[in-house]
This record gives sequence, C-alpha cells and structure tokens, in this order.
Amino acid sequence: MAMNKMERADRLPYLGYGLGLRTEHYEALLADPGKVQWLEVVSENYMVSGGLPLVWLERFRERFPLVMHGVSMSIGSTDPLDNDYLARLVALAQRIEPAWISDHLCWTGVQGVNLHDLMPLPYTEEALDHVVDRVRRVQDTLKRRILLENVSSYVSFADSQLTEWDFLASVAERADCLILLDINNVHVSAMNHGFSPQDYLRGIPVSRVQQFHLAGYEQGEQLIIDTHDAPVSHAVWDLYIDAVRRFGRVSTMIERDDHFPPLTELLTELEHARALAEPLLRDAA
Amino acid sequence: MNSLQAIQQQMLQAVLAERAHLPFTIRGDAIADADSRLAVYRHGYRIRLRDALKNEFAGLRSMAEQRFQRMLDKYVAAHPSEHYNIRWYGAGLAAFLDYARPWREQPQWAEMARLDWAISTAFDAEDEACIGMVELSSVPSDTWPGLLLSLQQNLHILAAHYNIEAFRRAADRGDKRPRLRRFEQARQILVWRKAMSVHYRLLEEDEWQVLSAVIQGEPFASLCERMANLHDETSATPRMVMLLQGWLEAGLIRGWSFG
Repeated sequence: MAMNKMERADRLPYLGYGLGLRTEHYEALLADPGKVQWLEVVSENYMVSGGLPLVWLERFRERFPLVMHGVSMSIGSTDPLDNDYLARLVALAQRIEPAWISDHLCWTGVQGVNLHDLMPLPYTEEALDHVVDRVRRVQDTLKRRILLENVSSYVSFADSQLTEWDFLASVAERADCLILLDINNVHVSAMNHGFSPQDYLRGIPVSRVQQFHLAGYEQGEQLIIDTHDAPVSHAVWDLYIDAVRRFGRVSTMIERDDHFPPLTELLTELEHARALAEPLLRDAA
Repeated sequence: MNSLQAIQQQMLQAVLAERAHLPFTIRGDAIADADSRLAVYRHGYRIRLRDALKNEFAGLRSMAEQRFQRMLDKYVAAHPSEHYNIRWYGAGLAAFLDYARPWREQPQWAEMARLDWAISTAFDAEDEACIGMVELSSVPSDTWPGLLLSLQQNLHILAAHYNIEAFRRAADRGDKRPRLRRFEQARQILVWRKAMSVHYRLLEEDEWQVLSAVIQGEPFASLCERMANLHDETSATPRMVMLLQGWLEAGLIRGWSFG
C-alpha cells in the first residue's frame, strides 16, 4: 500500500460507508438504514428559506454524520465567485455542521448564464492559477478546506498542457484542498478520452483523497455517458479495488441521481463496497 | 493559445446555439468526433432544464397535454438559466407565456403557470409562526374594532379567469383532466402553506373582498362593515366569524396589532 501514517495526518475524519441522500429514500432510510454510516446531501437542495426540505434534513442530522456536496460553486468559471451562493452555503454549513464540504473541479456557467452541467476545464497553467486562487478564496470564506471532485467529461481542449490528474493534483497541492475521487468518473473519462485509469490513480496524491464516490453509467454508441442512474459496473468495482489499494481507508459512498431503485438495492451495493475494501485494508494493516 | 475566458465563452455559445457549431478548441479523436462530443453537452442542457420544469408545472402539463413539450422547448431556447439552482428556472415561464406567440393568445397557459409556480415556491418559503383561536381570544373585546390582522407573508392570491385550480387539483390527485372553462367573472385563488403542507383553494367573493381589506391594512371594524354590505343583518356576523375561524385553522394569520 502506498500511503503511510504521516501522509494521512491532515485528512478529515474517516466516516465509513455512506449514501447520497435523496428524497426518494427519505422514509425508507429512517425506517431501516441498514449499515449506512453517513450521508452526503446535495447542498443546493437545502439552501432554501424554510419548509419541508430543512425539516427532513434535521431528522437525518440527528441520526447520521452529514457531509455537504454542491454542484453550483463553479470554481473554474471566469465569472466572479457568486457571493450570494457562498453566503447561503456558509449559512447551511453553520446549520448542519457537516464533516466536510465538497464541489466539483469544473465550471457550470459564464457570462451570467448557468448551464447546470459540470463543464470540464482546459488543463492549462492559466486555468490552474485561476482555480487555485478561487479555491483559496472559497476556503477563506468557508473557514475550512474543501474537497474537489473530478468530473466525467466528453470533450478535451486543444489548449490543454497537463493531464487531468496532474491538473487535479496541482490544484489540491497548491490550494491546499482535498479530493473527492469519483471512481466512476475516472473510468468514464478514461474510456472517453483513451487514457489509463491506472495512470490517473497513480497521479493523485494519496494524502489528499478524503472521499470516494461510486456510481453507474450508460454505454452510448461512441462515448460512455455518466448518468449516475445505474448500478456500479464491474469495471468500476475493479477500479475501486485498485483505489483502495492505493489510497487506503477512505470514506466511500454510493451516489445515485436518477432511476432510483428500492433502498435495499443501494444498501446491497454499499455492502459490496465494504466486502471488497475491508479485506484489503485488513491485509494492509 | 486561447484564454480560459475565451474557451468558456465559446463552449457556452456552442451549447446554447440552436444549431450546433463547433468551438475551435474542442478535439475529436478515434473514439468520437468533436461534434458527437459537443452533442452530449447540448443535449444534456436541454433535457435538464426541461425535466426541471416538468417537475414544477403539474397543472400546466395536464392542461397543455402534447403542447407542453413544445412550450418548454421554446422557453428553454429563449431563456438561458441564470440562477445557480435549477429549481428556480421556472420563475420566468408565466411571463414568457404572457408575451410569446402563440401562447399569449390563450391566457389560460400563463394563468396556469402562475398557479403552479406559486404552489412550488410556497413549498420551501420561509417558515412563519401562525396564531390560533386561543391567542386571538386573549384580545380584549373592546379593542376588537381597531384590531389589525397580519397575514402570512408567503401567502399568494392569484386572479383566475379559467378553472386552473381544478386542473391543478386533478393533476395532484391523478384524476381525469377537467374540461377548460372560462369564468364569467374572474375568481381568486389563495395559495399558502400551513406547517409543511402547501394548500390552495378558490375564494368566495365575500371572502376575497374581506381578505383584500386585511391585506390593505383595514381594521376589524372595517372588515365587518364590508361584510354587512355584502350580506343581510342576520347572516353577516356569523359569516365573518366563520371566515375568521377558517383563517385561524388554516394558519393564515401570523399575528395582530392595533392601528
């Protein structure tokens, strides 16, 4: 195993095996959460003035450690940072005291228009400087380090000078932030761009990885589409094993965003993740 | 080399444009050509916005039937999203239907969209405490004429020239879609939230008149006077009491003061 105790000293607490909280599973999850140890909530869904979303959130907060996961920070955009968004994010964080806050290494809009998509960046020195500066400013505002997640992508830019993993690693090191490594997204982008997912894992600094996402995708005619609406694929489970070998004990969760199955199916997937990881972690101990 | 800003602006235009045009910065390869790669984002953008609207406009969906999809496509083409939360993308749909052809010629579409949106925004509006009969009973009887009632700030009253409330109710219940009907005189629909549940109902004419007087800050004596002008001597007072009880039970009143 590549990591050692010194390398992991500045990680946040280890939470175990969790799920992304979705309204479709609210009642089932409270009735029988199985072995779910923590929940990830989509920040924007709860950045509201009042009503039922916050009531449910409080119920889950009483039962589970929570982490906040956003989709709209647009950390890579050349538009100014959205101070209203950040103020609401701070307010939600003060309300639920999450173990950590994450968003994506991407941009979601520019010129005041929001594409509501996780748009990839060109991997240039200019983009790197830009993102690093913004991550530092966000971390100053939130008064904590954030996690950035690698996105699935379908385009690459002629201007790129770095690999995606070098870019992600450099952002994390220079801005002193942590990484949410979506194993599915590594696989999807690797297949779509023809790079090695193993090279990707090897390029990510062990000490920066705080969380794993596991999810499913849809095989298109030419490209793999990251739908997060299907069970985790065999290829992604294999890559997860490689990731556990490299990064060690990392808080892991199943992320399903559409075509929601009964909760029991997600709990089964989560137990599969545990069954794959725990023997490897015991062997390495 | 293109600047980051130039690349993002090109990508934005390429995603939004009605007809695909390729930004010169995107690379194709043996796995997929550049057009196919861009198409994933162009397609995804439209699907996401359309899906977000479908979730918020149950009444309009039922009323418009097969025209709903085209309506949403035109709105998406005309209105890029500007809010970080996709949930708020529907805020401009009623106004779009007010002015865009052919929908502006049939005002029931915009009316329906306005009711759907009022219901949607009431769902996660700010929480407000409400008072009940017990609290109001503590007001000394000799001070009632000057009593000013305060309504929930998140309550909406919408004018309806069509039976839009029936369309929304049928959609919510999964009932058969009603026939479109135009009222002889415009009616008013009240939308509010009590605790965590959103409610809506048509107002009777006398209730609307008295409720609008409350909104305009008229004291209780003036409300009773209005009611007396609408009903005969024997029924005005019981009707006023009945309305007040109904408002308290529905959680419409958040407090009182004196003018």
